[in-house]
Amino acid sequence: MSQKYHMSLRHRLWQNRYFYIFISPFFTIFILFGIYPLAFSLYLSFVKWDGLTPATFVGLENFLTLFQDDEFHASLWNTVAIGAIYIAPMFLLAFLFAQILNSERLPLRGLLRTSVFLPCITPMVVIAIVFSLLYSAESGLFNFLIKVGNAMLPWGKIDPIPWLESERWSKVSVSILLVWRWTGYNMVLMLAGLQGIPLQLYEAATIDGAGRWRQMWHITLPLMRPTFVFCGIMSLIGTFYMFDEVFVLTRGGPGMSSTNFGLFLFNQAFTDFRFGYASAAAYTVAVGVFLTSLIILRWRKPRTD
Amino acid sequence: MRMHFSLWLKWALCALALAIIALIFLFPYYWLFISAFKTREKIFTMPPQFVPDPWVLSNFTDVFQMTHLAGAFLNSTIIALGHVALTLFLCSLGGYAFAKFRRAPGREALFAFVLGAMMIPMAVTMIPLFVMLARLRLVDTYWAMILPGAANAFGLFWVRQYIESNVHDDLLAAARVDGCTEFGLYWRIVLPVAQPALAALGILTLIGSWNNLMWAFIVLRTERMYTMPLLIYLLQGERRVPYGMVMAGGLLATLPLIIAFLFFQRAFIRGITAGALKA
Repeated sequence: MSQKYHMSLRHRLWQNRYFYIFISPFFTIFILFGIYPLAFSLYLSFVKWDGLTPATFVGLENFLTLFQDDEFHASLWNTVAIGAIYIAPMFLLAFLFAQILNSERLPLRGLLRTSVFLPCITPMVVIAIVFSLLYSAESGLFNFLIKVGNAMLPWGKIDPIPWLESERWSKVSVSILLVWRWTGYNMVLMLAGLQGIPLQLYEAATIDGAGRWRQMWHITLPLMRPTFVFCGIMSLIGTFYMFDEVFVLTRGGPGMSSTNFGLFLFNQAFTDFRFGYASAAAYTVAVGVFLTSLIILRWRKPRTD
Repeated sequence: MRMHFSLWLKWALCALALAIIALIFLFPYYWLFISAFKTREKIFTMPPQFVPDPWVLSNFTDVFQMTHLAGAFLNSTIIALGHVALTLFLCSLGGYAFAKFRRAPGREALFAFVLGAMMIPMAVTMIPLFVMLARLRLVDTYWAMILPGAANAFGLFWVRQYIESNVHDDLLAAARVDGCTEFGLYWRIVLPVAQPALAALGILTLIGSWNNLMWAFIVLRTERMYTMPLLIYLLQGERRVPYGMVMAGGLLATLPLIIAFLFFQRAFIRGITAGALKA
């Protein structure tokens, strides 16, 4: 037996040959379609290239241009603004629904789960077009409801809202669609988080005379922190890179008002064919998002008090 | 008796509140459904029509006759099945190797390498991928949709975890003694045991592939290659958008996954939550 520990590397490689055989399909595709493009795009961020004419090396120029590009800045600002509008209500709804699904006694839980979850499995393009009908200024359902509200309620008339036609409202319209689209996803994640909290903690707290709100504050919320942090990071990434939602609903408009970073990148790359510049932007933002995620991750540990 | 009544009332109020929430979330589907059966003019009436009058089927016949909808449905199906099959194959074979060949030199380093790649957003590799596919003359083929993303780092991680804790070494050793080949072990023991993990990963991959608009928009060029999301999106680009046809096509693109979901609800939710378990 002891000679096993003195085997040569060659022998160990041979003994485990099936390991290398079995991982080789994965690694072939992984390197060709994952790692090689990653390296190639790092190279691209230092050149000027439209995909047809030869690339020219420009050093750091692409990165320096980013600092002065108003469209780039607008896209980052829009991403943050849209995130600021939709993430809080989405989290509140998702947490509320997860609580409902987690309590045994409430009726119609299955219906709630199914209906809130369905958007996760629906082609975004279809639903974005449906929403664009609902948002239509003259004949959309939302403005019809405003009209009905005005007729029924005697005070404070609200004007019809130019949902998709005004720069002031386009971010709100996208955000409503995003809440509808992503609440279910966060709901199931939060439900999984809630189900991971040991029941004994609540039992002990009940014996100690802690009411429901105190239990929520001292048990549920602290122990849900890892889940919230994960949902937060997923939302952060999702908001930066989402595409279908804005591409179909508003095409980033009016003007640039609802162009998030993902759509900006797509336009730079596949409308203007600025491959070098787009790669530099993608790398810069990927690093930024990664660092922000790390900062959010520091929140993960529950307080130990 | 009073007690009973107040309990009943509370129950009824809860049920009502939940029903209203559910209806709000289901409403866009209802609108999609009825719009698919309205004439184009009736889609834009004020006040809006909540029930089509008249009900028409012309949107469906038009969308089949005037676009390559049947072909797009077939393309979407081939791409989704191909992508799922390839992903599952790569991730399960690799995941098995990483889980069970513990003495293989370089195993830890290779795995860390793959995990590191989980952080890379698709957006960074998009341009080179497109350039590469163009040079390989794979643009406008199924391969352009099937290959990228099939070596899914998360998938490998997910399947490895599952195999590590659910496939027992004794079982593999016994089968080896009985003369089972290494590939036979993978095929006859590992795959059946890993089925729940593969189902979750497969569903997650299927949803992403079936609904993918952006990548289809970039790499599919001719109408006979269009997928359902791309075909529907491009209909919207016409001068006078044929909304009835868009809605009919949209309904047909939406239904398959919803039907599958209603049958395999738990597996779907497990698939969607799969990503969270790594946290």
